[in-house]
Amino acid sequence: MANLKELKNQINSVKGTQKTTKAMKLVSTAKLRRAEVALKNSRIYANKIEELISSIAAKVNSIKDTINNRAFHDIETKKVDIIFVTADKGLCGGFNHQTIKTVSKMIKDFKEQDIKIRLKGIGRKGIEFFKFNQFELADEKIGLSAAPNYEEASKFILSSYNDFMNGETDKVIIVHNGYVNKIAQKIKIDTVLPLDRTKVEVNDNDILDIEPKNDEELVLTQLVQKYVEFSQFFALLDSLAAEHSARMQAMDAATTNAGEKVKELTLSYNKARQEAVTTELIEIISGMEALK
Amino acid sequence: MKLEIVAPMGKIFEGEVSSVTLPGSDGEMGVLDGHSPLVTTLKAGVIDIKKDSGEELVAINWGYADISNDSVNIVVDEAIPLSASEGHDIADNVAKAKKLMADFAESSQAVAYAEGKIESVARNLI
Repeated sequence: MANLKELKNQINSVKGTQKTTKAMKLVSTAKLRRAEVALKNSRIYANKIEELISSIAAKVNSIKDTINNRAFHDIETKKVDIIFVTADKGLCGGFNHQTIKTVSKMIKDFKEQDIKIRLKGIGRKGIEFFKFNQFELADEKIGLSAAPNYEEASKFILSSYNDFMNGETDKVIIVHNGYVNKIAQKIKIDTVLPLDRTKVEVNDNDILDIEPKNDEELVLTQLVQKYVEFSQFFALLDSLAAEHSARMQAMDAATTNAGEKVKELTLSYNKARQEAVTTELIEIISGMEALK
Repeated sequence: MKLEIVAPMGKIFEGEVSSVTLPGSDGEMGVLDGHSPLVTTLKAGVIDIKKDSGEELVAINWGYADISNDSVNIVVDEAIPLSASEGHDIADNVAKAKKLMADFAESSQAVAYAEGKIESVARNLI
């Protein structure tokens, strides 16, 4: 009889879990919709600024020697700045782990090439992992990946930007798990600085005229800084949408699994009950037989 | 000439225009079709768009313009558009645009100049 009660408790507990996962799935679905809209709107800007910067970066080739801005130079990589973005919360399948794994692999690869690494993190899950594994984080921020904010994002990446411009680091990379569609996420490794000058093909007679004339440097610098700031912000938005889609999927799977578990448990419960009834009947019948 | 203005929150303007006046950091500059390629930064001010069908304004706090032969691409930080298509909230946008100018423009003359432009265009739209 104890077995029956145990089973009953188990069924109720799994049903409770199922309710929770179902609720979480609904919440993620609603949040995903909002994150998607934000992402879609900013993607237009992201594409535009990327288009501008790569066309300028390509055109700058012709006047490269007169420009001091490090973002437009070829630099030998001695020290990289890696910024990773993960979620603050778990329960979203392999979402955080994929980013962590990619970053760990990058660290290993860079170490093999004798390149120094500086690690900065956004999002509790990644930060906790690397701290637990004795990696030193130069900067960390919790709460930003759950609620992306342009100002905070640009503040966070500003030190990376400055260090790159001062020559302290030679590369700035942002790693995050990005949104592909409602059921797929993809790791994105984005080298923000130095700029990629190979993306756009340029004719030699493409000239670049910059105004104000005496301040070409300033014009380029402003654009590069905007680009860097926005890349960080965009990574956050992309990561948030991906997080919600990953959680939605994970919770959907969990709800389905819980349903199956309930079915299974109910079957064993019914079997056990039937068994108990049969045993009782046999006992009664044999008792009566004995009395005859 | 094709003009496109985008802000982090989305597309502000896209379409064919006959001319556009930009608040360049070196002073106001007008751009017509066939302009020589140029990149420049924009300061807080108003972008004045002239189309065949009328005039539109976009107030910005900072911007970056890439001008080529037949197109102008502008990225901005914050922008408040004033156009005929959204007649009902023009008053609201006028107030917002004025506030943007007051917050970011570098001198009181610049604010006054921008406000004058905003008001004259808004009058035509209402």
